[in-house]
Amino acid sequence: MPDNPLSRRQFVSVAGTAGAAMLAGCDGDGESNELELVHWWTAGGEEDAIQALIDGYEEEYDYTVNNNPAPGGAGSALDTVIQNRVLNENPPGTFQIWPGKAMNTYLDADVLADIGSVWTDEMQSAYQDGVMELAQTDDGTFVAVPVNIHRLNNLFYNVSVVEEAGVDPAGLETPSDVLTAMETVEAETDAAGMAHQTSAQWSTVQLWEDVLVGQTGVDTYLDVLDGNVGANEQAVKDALQTTADYREYFIEDAGSVSWDTGNQSVIQDEAAFLHQGDWAAGQYKSAEDFEYGTDWDYVPFPGTGEIYHVVSDAFVMPQPNPSPDATEAWLSYAGSVEGQIAFNTNKGSIPPRTDVSMDEFGPFLTSQSEDFGESSAQPPTIAHGTGVTPTVKGAVEDAFADFIANWNVDDTYSGIESAFN
Amino acid sequence: MSAIDRIADRVRRYRFGRSDEESTSDARLATDGGHRTGGLDLGPEFVQALPFWLPAGLLVALFVYGAIGWNFFISLTDWSGLQASYWPLDFEMYTRFFGKVLEGGLLGGPIEYWSFRNTIVLLIVFTVLTLIVGLLLAILIDQQIRFENTFRTIYLLPMSLSFVVTAVFWQWMYNPRYGIINSALETVGLDFFAVNWIGAAQFKLLAVIIALTWQFSGYGMVVYLAGLRAIPSDQFEAARVDGAGTIKMYLRVIVPQLRAATLSAAVVLMVFALKAFDFLYVIFGSRPGPGADILSVMMYRTAFDTSQFAYGAAIATILFVLALGVIGPYLYIQYQRGDL
Repeated sequence: MPDNPLSRRQFVSVAGTAGAAMLAGCDGDGESNELELVHWWTAGGEEDAIQALIDGYEEEYDYTVNNNPAPGGAGSALDTVIQNRVLNENPPGTFQIWPGKAMNTYLDADVLADIGSVWTDEMQSAYQDGVMELAQTDDGTFVAVPVNIHRLNNLFYNVSVVEEAGVDPAGLETPSDVLTAMETVEAETDAAGMAHQTSAQWSTVQLWEDVLVGQTGVDTYLDVLDGNVGANEQAVKDALQTTADYREYFIEDAGSVSWDTGNQSVIQDEAAFLHQGDWAAGQYKSAEDFEYGTDWDYVPFPGTGEIYHVVSDAFVMPQPNPSPDATEAWLSYAGSVEGQIAFNTNKGSIPPRTDVSMDEFGPFLTSQSEDFGESSAQPPTIAHGTGVTPTVKGAVEDAFADFIANWNVDDTYSGIESAFN
Repeated sequence: MSAIDRIADRVRRYRFGRSDEESTSDARLATDGGHRTGGLDLGPEFVQALPFWLPAGLLVALFVYGAIGWNFFISLTDWSGLQASYWPLDFEMYTRFFGKVLEGGLLGGPIEYWSFRNTIVLLIVFTVLTLIVGLLLAILIDQQIRFENTFRTIYLLPMSLSFVVTAVFWQWMYNPRYGIINSALETVGLDFFAVNWIGAAQFKLLAVIIALTWQFSGYGMVVYLAGLRAIPSDQFEAARVDGAGTIKMYLRVIVPQLRAATLSAAVVLMVFALKAFDFLYVIFGSRPGPGADILSVMMYRTAFDTSQFAYGAAIATILFVLALGVIGPYLYIQYQRGDL
């Protein structure tokens, strides 16, 4: 028997009070003028970008933002958090998502609210069709607001390396020209052909996507995205073969590094080319003595000059929503000229709105923005979730995890084909 | 735990008859066996003990065993996506998994096959290697060397590091261009072994096993050292007098006495091998590919990258059963020896 019952009772009462206080804390009478925001931008310019958007929003509206990032795993950490909270019927006010098919998981569960009221005529007229489609469900209901546009089909290069090798990147017309160019680079200089990484599959998925667009055109690519893989068997296989041929010219430690570590090879004159989304330019910008035009430059990936291969992020309104008014205001702000300038100048992406002045964006993004305005098509991607459902994306990634291990074209083709069926 | 110990204690006493320190009431229980076949004493002592173990017991039951049960239940459904489904309660996920595993042959197969195979290879090779390295370290440390404590600490230190930390620096060391491992191998003329460790599919798993062995051999050393210290020095001397050389002495006299240490270390290491996740996830992300995919990574990927919750839960249950397969026999042996 306890010989000091009093202190036990005290202990129990203290513990009970603490427990009650914690429960009360959990309850936290939800101030409806607070917007909980979940995103994965916690590094460098990305963090500055979201902070700029938050600051502008708080200034413009009478709401405060509860900034609650869930970084890691290229968004998979965020997916885990959001999916658990949706299952518990406790979603945040808004969260970051890839627009397009990536939203299917949430649309199937009827989690995303119709935000037609946010998409005013003024806003609709400012967006390109390809981007606006990403924000809609199949039947045309608006459920998301894209806040930025990255271009995927870039071929960055180190100016001094390609000059030393005597290669003119602007003269490259097809993906196989890139192969010849890399061959020349490795023959004429000490640099490697391409600073590609193969330690995770996504970079190779997006490379294959652009090789496919470059070799057989955007219509074939879109047809594949629609699931008609079998009808385009030869095109898919040819693109896989070209990608597999590229690997001879990857940096030696391609399989051991992340994309940004690999990109250091371009900065240090140790590699000539890099196929990557234009977030890679952010790294060049922050590198010392590495200037746009003189030290690095880019061309659209050969064969895809007319195309703006879009990678985008968006915000949505989950339902039931703890703060519908604040969320609607957030979405309107994210779709406004002011919000998109605040966000994209820091993020290193271009605004999806075409009526934004590019004065503050610097020469590289201005050039990208011009290309965007003139582009003939803005296809979505597999690697960044906009073009296929998460299930298909997962299966394609499985196929490419195999591909970067053994570079077997036929096996990977059947992996891709079964991914879409 | 206390509740389980207590019950186990009673069961054992009931089974093996009275021991010296038994109280009279227990002695009665042992002598008139059959009267209380349940073996549980629900007398006043039991009631008095309730407040001590019941709250913890209930919490453990709910959050550990309840969660395991819930996970198993989910694995019987076809839940994928964000709308929970509690149907159709069959073993389809399991037949799907093992069907895919059986599709694989020596040279290839679906990712399920590779994950399963890699998990088993990791389990066996990692455990055996770690035990061997740990034993060698323990024998060396046991030679009455100077700075013994310092070396012991040095060998044990990797255990205290987070896998995230060790994964990142092994990733650097394995880099084929700048990594210290290949540089060292090339310096001593072993260019042949300077492979693309974590870049080439056929070496990935080996690279992981080497790194994990490095991290865990200190643990093996500590367990073995305790075992070695428990062997009376007479036996070392007797072996010497009988003319046994050092190697023969260890092989024939000492190592056989380390069975208990080997067993308990092996169980801990094998259970860890089944749970190894962080190290692979940090280096390879959620898709290590056929070369290094293991069940724990596949479970995470299936449930949270692709939202196939039922399938992920089935893989989790399979992992749980594998862990039980390791721990179960160990507990049984301990129980038979009366050590439990």
